[in-house]
Amino acid sequence: MPIKRLFVANRGEIALRIVRAAQALNIETVVAVSDADRDSAAARLADRSIVLGPAAAAKSYLDPRLIVHAAKESGCDGLHPGYGFLSERAILPRLCAQHGIAFVGPEPDVIDALGDKLRARAMAGAAGVPLVPGSECVASSADARREGDRIGYPVLLKASAGGGGRGMVIANNGDEAEAGFHKASAEAVAAFGDGTLFMERFVPEARHVEVQLMGDGNGQVLHFGERDCSVQRRYQKLIEEAPCAAMPDHLRRQLHESAVALAASVKYRNAGTAEFLFDVQRQEFYFIEVNARIQVEHPVSEAITGFDLVQEQIRIAGGAGLSVSQQDVEINGHAIECRINAEDAARDFMPSPGRITRWEPPQGPGIRLDSHMSAGAMIPPFYDSMVGKLIVHGSDRADAIARLADAIDNFVVEGVPTTLPLHRAIIAHPDFVENRIHTRWLEQVLLPDYGKKAA
Amino acid sequence: MTENNAAIAAIDDARALLDTLLTSGWQQLHVASGDTEIFLARKDGGINPMRVVAQRPAPAIAAPAAQVGPETAVPAPHVATLEHALAVGTHVTAGQTVATVRVLDEREDVAAPVSGMIVRVDAEPGALLEYGVTLLSIAVAA
Repeated sequence: MPIKRLFVANRGEIALRIVRAAQALNIETVVAVSDADRDSAAARLADRSIVLGPAAAAKSYLDPRLIVHAAKESGCDGLHPGYGFLSERAILPRLCAQHGIAFVGPEPDVIDALGDKLRARAMAGAAGVPLVPGSECVASSADARREGDRIGYPVLLKASAGGGGRGMVIANNGDEAEAGFHKASAEAVAAFGDGTLFMERFVPEARHVEVQLMGDGNGQVLHFGERDCSVQRRYQKLIEEAPCAAMPDHLRRQLHESAVALAASVKYRNAGTAEFLFDVQRQEFYFIEVNARIQVEHPVSEAITGFDLVQEQIRIAGGAGLSVSQQDVEINGHAIECRINAEDAARDFMPSPGRITRWEPPQGPGIRLDSHMSAGAMIPPFYDSMVGKLIVHGSDRADAIARLADAIDNFVVEGVPTTLPLHRAIIAHPDFVENRIHTRWLEQVLLPDYGKKAA
Repeated sequence: MTENNAAIAAIDDARALLDTLLTSGWQQLHVASGDTEIFLARKDGGINPMRVVAQRPAPAIAAPAAQVGPETAVPAPHVATLEHALAVGTHVTAGQTVATVRVLDEREDVAAPVSGMIVRVDAEPGALLEYGVTLLSIAVAA
């Protein structure tokens, strides 16, 4: 049954994005808001908004009972969780199912299975998806050398009881593997009371690539190409691109096939993303995890394929099945997105809530802005600090970078500091222009200098 | 985040709120989040609600004026459906259950914040109440 009235269980730009997608499908919308978001752009555009609770997310956006109650009592027959908040918590689709509401996302059991790293890894292995080469438990320094030789250096010795970097040693050769075994084992005993170690290949300069997937729940899964999200700070993505220009075509095909095989093996329903580590030197990719939701960076995939992924999500949740087949999905040009946060990069990315006094986004062909902001809008201090996503689409990567540079130069924001100047510096850097970046590039190469200039 | 960063962030939040107040036409700003509350007011602004219980004018359909003092609104604690409320004219003591609300299949009691008499039931049983909406009003005994 197609969804007639959709409940939007999120805030910010994605809530607005979902309302617009629903309206394009002639579906009514009810937006959940906290006390701090009563006057949000999504609340104003939707047919109705319902105040769940106070500003604190734990008492509003993170309470699945309040959300499903509000959805049910306002007559909604569908619920979109957006990203973040409860989007990957199986309790939300379970409550929806109990109350006759179609959840725009995967089955709760699939969410649970993919959310468990070990189970997800086992599922990926069973589907023939490459995993980071590694060992079982290593019992001695001689074992460590033998396993290191087999896996290939550099390797990471990790405490199996570990976490937080303790009991973790990088070894670049057999001698270091033997010495590292003693060091890591001693650290692990001291920290966790358990010296058991295992080893894993260490990829010093990896790229983060991911495949956009959409499944019908019956085993048919399409991919919408891959994205490269290697510009990161503390595992948070700042810039995302599609396609991954650093990946050769034969590897790209294998990547897509692996991601589709994994999702098909669990009869994945709705939108998801399979994330991989891409070892550029070795020309290999390894599975990281699956994110069982629409992602922040989905617009770059929309830009290069021409499909509206959020509309497709809503249609699938309404029982329509996939509207296209794989041969309809063609990749055109190159897209780049930057996440604009109200943060002060010169002050260690301190969130800077406040009121936007001027907001004049760039316009023109190939420019898209997903944002809930406007002049006079308030950024409340209770949630994440993203104020929008600027997306450009060009004929190739160089063209997209040039458009993005122009777009940022013509973007006027006043009232709060944003990360726009940082984005401008990143895309002007020779390493970015020549595509020599990796997941630690921003923190290791650009930010140390950027901090100095800013100070 | 270090404690120092947290303190700076809190100061930034307060500054942002102050900026909001000053650039608006509002007289006062009261923000509550978790365990933290902040109240800002202009020189000619309102009474600090953290010191004084909010007062409202006596309702038109009140019990005899001699028996009632200032009114206290009892708000919905979160989005919920009103199941039942005590009748107008009922005398209640602070902490006593005055209404029952429902979220999905769970019922929850709403307690009187003050002692007094229920002078008005503001919501219809069965209605979906949004957070903060007034359920009923209690007049403090004069």
